[in-house]
Order: sequence, then C-alpha cells, then structure tokens
Amino acid sequence: MRQIQPRQNYLGPGGWVWAGKYKLERYLYLLHRITGLGILLFLIIHLCMTTVFRIQGQDVWEATIALLRNPWFKVGEYLVCVAFVYHALNGLRLILQELGLAMGRPTPPIYPYKDALRKKRPWTIALVAVIAILALVFVYDFIVGGW
Amino acid sequence: MRNTYVWFLQLVTGVLIAVLLGIHVVIMHLDAILGFFGVDMAEVTSWESMIGRAIQGVWASLYIALLAVVLYHALNGLRGIILESTPSATTERIVTWVIIAFGIIAFIGGTYVPVALLAS
Repeated sequence: MRQIQPRQNYLGPGGWVWAGKYKLERYLYLLHRITGLGILLFLIIHLCMTTVFRIQGQDVWEATIALLRNPWFKVGEYLVCVAFVYHALNGLRLILQELGLAMGRPTPPIYPYKDALRKKRPWTIALVAVIAILALVFVYDFIVGGW
Repeated sequence: MRNTYVWFLQLVTGVLIAVLLGIHVVIMHLDAILGFFGVDMAEVTSWESMIGRAIQGVWASLYIALLAVVLYHALNGLRGIILESTPSATTERIVTWVIIAFGIIAFIGGTYVPVALLAS
C-alpha cells in the first residue's frame, strides 16, 4: 500500500531565505529577522563610534565623520534607514496581531471562508506599499543631501 | 511565565523605539527632508552641535532611555534567534548571561562617555 507522506514543512537553514509553501507574511517575517540583525550590526558600529572614538576628542570625532561621508557608508546609511522603517512598521503590525487589536469581529468558519491571514492581507499589502513609498522618499534625501 | 514578561517587554520596547528612534533618525539622517518642511538643523554631526545636545538634560535623558530600550530589544531579539535552535539548558543559560553581560557593558560605555565628555 502506498504511504501518504505528510507535506514537508520543515525548511531548515534554507528557511532563512525561502518560505516554502508559505505566503507573503512568511517573507515579511524573514525580512524582519534579516533587517533586525542588520540593524544590530549597525548598532554595534554606531556604539563604537559614539563611545570609543568620541571619547578621544574633537579631532578623532571629525576624522570619523569625514570617513562616514564615504559613498559606501552613505549607501549603508540608506539601507539602515529603510531597514529601520521596515522593522518598525512591520513590528507594529505584529504587535497589533499579537494583542488582537483592530482585527475586526471573528466570523464563523462556514465554507467558503477566508483564514485569518487572508482576511488581513489587503492591509498587509498596503503596509508594504507604505514602506516602499517611504524607501523612495528617503532616496530624495540622499539625492539632495549629496553622496 | 517569565518568558511571557520578557516577550511583552519586547513589544513595549518596540513601540518606544519606533517613537524615540524615529525622532533620532529623522534629525540625524533626513536633513534634506526636514529642509523641505522648512526645518534647518544645520550640521547635526559637527562636534559643537553634538556637544550642544549632550549638555541638555532633555537630549541626554532621551539618548540614555533610547540606548536602554534599544539594547534590550536588540539583544533579546538576538537571543531569541540563537535559542531558536533549541540548545541544551546549560547553553541557553550561557547565551543568556553572555548577552546580559554584553548589554550591561554597552550600556555603561554608552552612558559613561557623554558624562566624561561633559566633565572635560
């Protein structure tokens, strides 16, 4: 007799970049984690700059600021800004979900019904659009402010 | 039960960071957009501007509060990612204490330096 295998849903380390059968929200979760780690990396560099370098006085501070005017650091700064906006807005979405706020009334699961994620998906997509718009707005700052 | 409180604090610090770090990011990095709305911050990263903010009690306390909540949120998030691989109870305890020690060192460093600069 043919064995029916359960659908494989364990993604292992590949689950860090690939969401398998899961949909948009899982990719948002992956990005949430990656942006979180990226911001943590920035935080460590930022703390080094504002402690170890700043304590050495004005000259070292100004040399550090001059170093950070490098275009590559500007690109990194932009990425950190976008990562922060993403992490913040997606995090607020997750908090609302966690606490069950602004979720609408529960409906009886009578076929055909939408699951909880599908019901919220228009709002989720709207949130992604807002983040994308903010990311574009931030480009304005880097164009006007110079590289 | 204890993890519930740790996680709830993660949510609370998340909201606080969204506000405090939002202010910080807009002032520090989005000077052109602020200029678009008619606010001119003029060289926020210069030494004089930085010291000028550091000697004001409001800014200093905002920065220290931001440092505390950011360190909690970031290091607790990192701990969650590390502990996701379900290590043994001993490893879990080691990871937790290493992260707490790192957080305390970073907090002391981050608050000591502005105070030392004021004294000099």
